[in-house]
Order: sequence, then C-alpha cells, then structure tokens
Amino acid sequence: MAATGTAATVNSNEQYNYDIVRKFTIMTLIWGAIGMFVGVYIASELAFPVLNFDNPYITFGRLRPVHTGAVIFGFGGSALFATSYYVVQRTCQARLFSDGLANFTFWGWQAAIVFAALGNVMGHSQGREYAEMEWPIDLLILFVWVAYLTVFVGTLMKRKQPHIYVANWFYLAFILATALLHVFNNLAIPVELFSMKSYSLFSGVQDAMTQWWYGHNAVGFFLTAAFLGMMYYFVPKQAGRPIYSYRLSVIHFWAIIFLYMWAGSHHLHWTAIPDWTSTLAATFSIMLLLPSWGGMINGILTLSGAWDKLRTDPVMRFLIVALSFYGMSTFEGPMMSLKDVNALSHYTDWTVGHVHSGALGWVAMITFGSLYHLVPRLWNTPMHSLKLINVHFWLATIGILLYITAMWISGIMQGLMWRAFDDFGNLQYSFVESVAAAHPFYIMRAVGGAFFLAGMILMCYNMYKTIRKGSVEPTAEQQVEGKLSANAA
Amino acid sequence: MSQENTKGSGTAEQKPTFSQGGVPTTGHSWDGDIRELTNPLPRWWVWAFYITAIFTVVYWLFYPAWPVGSTFTKGVPGLNSITYTATQVDGTEVEKTTHWNMRSKFMVEMNELHAAQKQWFDKVAATPYDQIAQDAELMQFVTSAGKTLFSDNCAPCHQAGGQGVIGFAPNLTDDHWQYGGAYEQIEATIVHGRRGYMPAFKEIVSDEEIGQLANYVLSLSGEPHDAGSASSGAKLFQTNTAGCYACHGADAKGIEGIGSANLTDKIWLWANIPELNTPEEKLKVVKTIISGGLNRGVMPPWEDRLKPDQIKLLTVYVHQGLGGGK
Repeated sequence: MAATGTAATVNSNEQYNYDIVRKFTIMTLIWGAIGMFVGVYIASELAFPVLNFDNPYITFGRLRPVHTGAVIFGFGGSALFATSYYVVQRTCQARLFSDGLANFTFWGWQAAIVFAALGNVMGHSQGREYAEMEWPIDLLILFVWVAYLTVFVGTLMKRKQPHIYVANWFYLAFILATALLHVFNNLAIPVELFSMKSYSLFSGVQDAMTQWWYGHNAVGFFLTAAFLGMMYYFVPKQAGRPIYSYRLSVIHFWAIIFLYMWAGSHHLHWTAIPDWTSTLAATFSIMLLLPSWGGMINGILTLSGAWDKLRTDPVMRFLIVALSFYGMSTFEGPMMSLKDVNALSHYTDWTVGHVHSGALGWVAMITFGSLYHLVPRLWNTPMHSLKLINVHFWLATIGILLYITAMWISGIMQGLMWRAFDDFGNLQYSFVESVAAAHPFYIMRAVGGAFFLAGMILMCYNMYKTIRKGSVEPTAEQQVEGKLSANAA
Repeated sequence: MSQENTKGSGTAEQKPTFSQGGVPTTGHSWDGDIRELTNPLPRWWVWAFYITAIFTVVYWLFYPAWPVGSTFTKGVPGLNSITYTATQVDGTEVEKTTHWNMRSKFMVEMNELHAAQKQWFDKVAATPYDQIAQDAELMQFVTSAGKTLFSDNCAPCHQAGGQGVIGFAPNLTDDHWQYGGAYEQIEATIVHGRRGYMPAFKEIVSDEEIGQLANYVLSLSGEPHDAGSASSGAKLFQTNTAGCYACHGADAKGIEGIGSANLTDKIWLWANIPELNTPEEKLKVVKTIISGGLNRGVMPPWEDRLKPDQIKLLTVYVHQGLGGGK
C-alpha cells in the first residue's frame, strides 16, 4: 500500500498514540521491580521465617498474592498493554481507536493492581489462586477489560492494512479468553453491598474445576498466547528477518486456542475430581506440546541465517533464550500432567520451579527483550548502555538457572521422601524432615531470585538513564524510522 | 520504511520477492519490514504431533476418559483393571475388580502397606507393655513407626526430639513426669489429653505475699532469693489463705494425679528460669505466674485421631524411645 511508504515521514507521535505505550512501559518496569522484590522477600521468609517479624501483614500468606499480582498483572499485564497498543497501531497503520478509553485502561488497570495488593495485605481474599481480588476489584477489572477489547478491536477495524498480522491474533485471543475466564471464575455473591466478602456461585468439585480452568488458561492465554503475540512482532523486528513459516503460525495458533481450554484439570490430579476429567486434562496437555513448540520453532527459525546476532545483539539473546525456556517449560508441563508423573510432582516445589521457568524464563525474558527494543523507539534515543543489557542478561539467566535447579532438586526430593516406606511398611520420613531437607534449596532459590531481581533493577536504571536523555518528540533527522535501534549505541 | 528494509522490497503490495534460501514470502508486509516466509510445516513437527495424538487415544483406552450421558467411558475392559480387597460394613472382606480409578488404586496401595504393618501392629497389641521393651525386633518396629507418628502428631508442640519448650510443652526426654511416667499413665495422657491449670492469686493474697511465695519457690530450686522473704513464703505456702499446699503438696513436690508441678526440682515448666540472668528477672517471672495463674498447657485428646494400636505404639515410643519412662 502506498501508505506504508509515507508512514515513515510522518511524526509517529501524531500518527500513533505512543503516550499510552510509554505509560504502560514505565509501569511494567516499576511493577517488575516491586513484584520481584516481594517475590525474593517471601522466598527468604520461607528459608528464614524470622523475616516475618511477627507481623501478620507481611507473612507469606498475605504477600504471596501481592507477589503474583504484581508480577503477573502489574509487570506482565502492563507489558502486554504497552506492546499490544504499540504492535496493533504499527501493524495496522492506524492510531488507537480511542485515546480516552486507552487512558481509562491505564488508570483502571493500575488502580486494580494497587487495590488488589492492599486488599491482600489487609487480609481480603477470595482464596482463588491468581484471582484473589474480591468482587469490587473484579468489577473494575471487567470495565477495564471491556475498554481494552473495544480499543483493540476498534483499532483492528480501522486498519489500513488488508491483513491482520499474526501478533494481533494472539493478542486478540488473549483479550477475549481473559474476559471469559475472569467473568466466569469470579461469579460470586457479595455478603452485603458494602462488604468485601463474597461467596462463589460454585461449590465443591465444580468450584475447584472452575478455578483451575481459570488458573490454567490464565497461564495459557495471559502468559502464553499474549506473549507469543509479543514474540511475533519483536523477534522478526529485532532480527530483521521474516517469520519462518506463515502456515506454522496459523496451525499452532488454532491448535493452542483449541487445546488449552481442556487442560486445566491437570492441576487437580489425585484429588476428588472425576477420573475422566483428570484423563482428558492429561491427554490434552500432551497434545499441547507440539502446538506450543510451534511458536518456539517459528521464533527461533526466524533467526536462521542471522545466528551471529545471538553473539552480537544482547536484545536478540533475551528473545531467543526466552523462546528456549518457553520450549523447555512447555515440554515439562505436559510431562507433569501425566497421572504417574504428577503423583510424584504434585504439591512439591517442582511445580513452583516449573511455573518460574515459564514466568522468569519465558514471560520476563521476552518482555525484557521487547522493552529493550521498544524504549529506544519510544524516546527516540539509543539505549544508555548496551553493556548493562548484557550484564542484565547474565544476571537473569544465572538467576533462573539457580531458581529452577533448586526447585527441581527440592521438589523431586520432597516427592520421593513423602512416598518412601521402610521394610515394615512405615513411612520413612516425617513431613518436617522433608521441610528440613528442603531448607538449603530454599536459600538457593532466594539467591536465584535475588540475581533475577538485581537484573531487573539494573534494567530500571538503564531505562531511567535512557529515558532521561531521550525525548518523546523525534528530532528532524530521526524522522526516518528504523535508524534507531539498541544496536546503534 | 526502514532503510534496511528498502533493500528487500518497496511496498507491501509487491510480489513476494524477499526470500530466504529460495523460499518466497506470503507477499504481505507489516510495519515496513515484517514478512512471513511460506515454509511448510517441519515434517518432524507434524509427525511428533501425530504421535502425541496417538498417545492420547491409547491413554483413553487405559483410563476413564469421556463423559457419556450420566456415565463415562472406562477404558478397554481388562486392560488396566484394579483388583482390591474391601472390608464391608459387616466386617467380611470381599475382592473387587474394577476399571482403573483413583480410589481403588488408593485402596490397593494402602492395603499393601497395612498388610506389611499388620503383623507388627498385631504383635504390639498382643504384647504387654513391659514385654514389648524386651523384644528387640519389635522395638525396631516401634522406633520406626513411632518416629513418624510422633513427628507428625506430637512434634509440633513437644518438638522433633521430644525436648519440649519451656512455657509451652513439657520435655518428654527427661525422667520427670507431671502426670506420671508409667505406661498406663502415658497412655491415659495421650488418649484423654491434659489441661494444666493454676488459679490466679492476685485477688487472694497481697502483692508483698506473692513476692514472699515467689522467693520461697525460687529457694526450693536453689535459685537466688531473699531468705527472709522466702521463710515468710514457706509459712504462707502451708496456710489455708494461700492454699498452695493443697495442689503442690505439703512437701511442694507436686501430685501426679492432678499434674501439679514439683517445685523442689530444677525443672521449670512455665517460668523460663534457666534463660534468665538476674535474680530480679527470675523473681518477676515467678511472681507473674503466681499472680495471674495459668490456664495454658492444653494437650488435646488423641483417642479420636489415632487408632488404639497407634496410641499403644506411641506410648511405648515415648516411654522407651524417648527415654525416661517409669
């Protein structure tokens, strides 16, 4: 289209709403630092309970949802808002459908995360994992989400490109699925109009299955599909290569969308759920392996012919290592969903390690890479320091490896200790002995987390210096886009 | 849009010219330089996907899998069935064979373990307490089973080694027993639980008198005290005003039947005297107890939580395994 050629000569701030992207980008950094700090703190509490200081507000039980809320919804959510608003505008060549609604999503989303964190610390919780916030906050999130959908679909509809780029399919699937999950999992009746307490519409097995239908698909759509959308834009952009296979992107997209929704009950193996739900969940998880890998293959093979970039471009390294961790944890997940493997892994730290290899290795690493690509373009200046990006990469990678190694050892050890019997048929270990045995690995996990947090703080510093020297208005010579990249530093 | 990109192609509408190793793109482009190659699906990927689908169908043949009306498919009959022995309400045992399911699998595994344990538990049940300790092999079983039973049920209060916590739960490893250290007494303690209680004296005697009593109590254990005050306390101890002797005995050695503390030994249950350094601190903490009394020290009854043979085994474990039994 003719418009493609002219886009470059228009001031991007007029053509696109970058203001909203900048705001969400900054909040991504802030929530990342806060959420990871809380994570390191509660990991340290598990290793050294004295850190509770006998203060109920900072105990593990209350801070844990603060950690998950801040990293998933604060850090991950803000990153998705930022990149989806950026990607949808650039690949549709259209300004956001509504600046006002986009602004509402910003303030509404930030308020929801702050209220949720305060509520958790005060002791308000629905007791639903990753959906601890009580009903008033759920309603706020619902309004924000409808506004998000409106902005996103509205922008897609006014696109100046004939085709919708694959990244946008993933973002749209994430927005629609999250709406569905959020509404049905949070169906609850408040005790009274001005009470924070509510009771779920579901009970018993249905309640548990609804919760894990939500919980697993929050992983599937929020933390996987949406970040694949991010990958589909930033990997080819940063590599300067075309996506490896259009057909693979179509097939693995629909396979993921279809299969993920069935798999949630594998979180409830060996509980009171019907056996057949457990079997279906296990098998659909197994069938998810290759569709998940489709995204990894498409991303990594996009780099073929440009492998040297892995050596020379630390941003590319973040993106590709993220894809590798994605491939690893989407292999591990289906294995853990098999009944017999799960009998060993369930309730152990292995699960925690698995989640973090996905959360740190995939979600956070792909976000870091994308932000290092994005920020120089939003503030029209190269990154302050390429060297610091490199240091961040190694801090993060070492941190993840320490974390998941610690949890693998401790998790498998717990699983084996809990099922060990002596010749008399007596349990060989008491529970507390397995706790004591896990202690060194809890310290190792906290250290790994501290490495990762140190990298995050370094990134915030690097971003701060970059943003300080940059400007939201490009200079005349910067009008031609594409000249700016982190590599130019 | 970007300079680098203009090398590859001009506009989005163009024919697919950007190719890699001879593979053309789809001809679409976004944001200047984002394109897609038309590579086919990797063959290994397709085959691996088929294999997971085949694995899935096979898994469905082995396990309950699909809901059908109000029931569900149960896998191929006989392929993955489970046979277990169930005890019916009337006590008779029946052997059942069923399709794979979690509850039956659980029954099978628990039956296996119970079968291994049964001969030993039966022997514990049939052997009088004092003879269990003589049987080295049986004691091996008691130690092995008792360790986990104790750790999972008793250790939260009495600590992993049974050493207790002053001010919270008594030490089970010494030879001092508040409610008696004979087998039957230990068993009664586990079965019914215990509740420690001492009334508050602040309304009954004056503050000065509480000081005298506290000095007397400290003097009984050889702790630093005011001798004059202690001798007044000794007299007060035996009077009906304070009435201390009623529970602690005229010799202040406690009464096992009601679990009152022996005040003459150096074992402290509530006031953490060994941890305190100055006579003032020691006096203060003893005064606090006399003044306010105690309504702590609740040990729950275990008769509804543990089976009689488990309680008997724990009794031997506490008596012999931890030591100090009488």
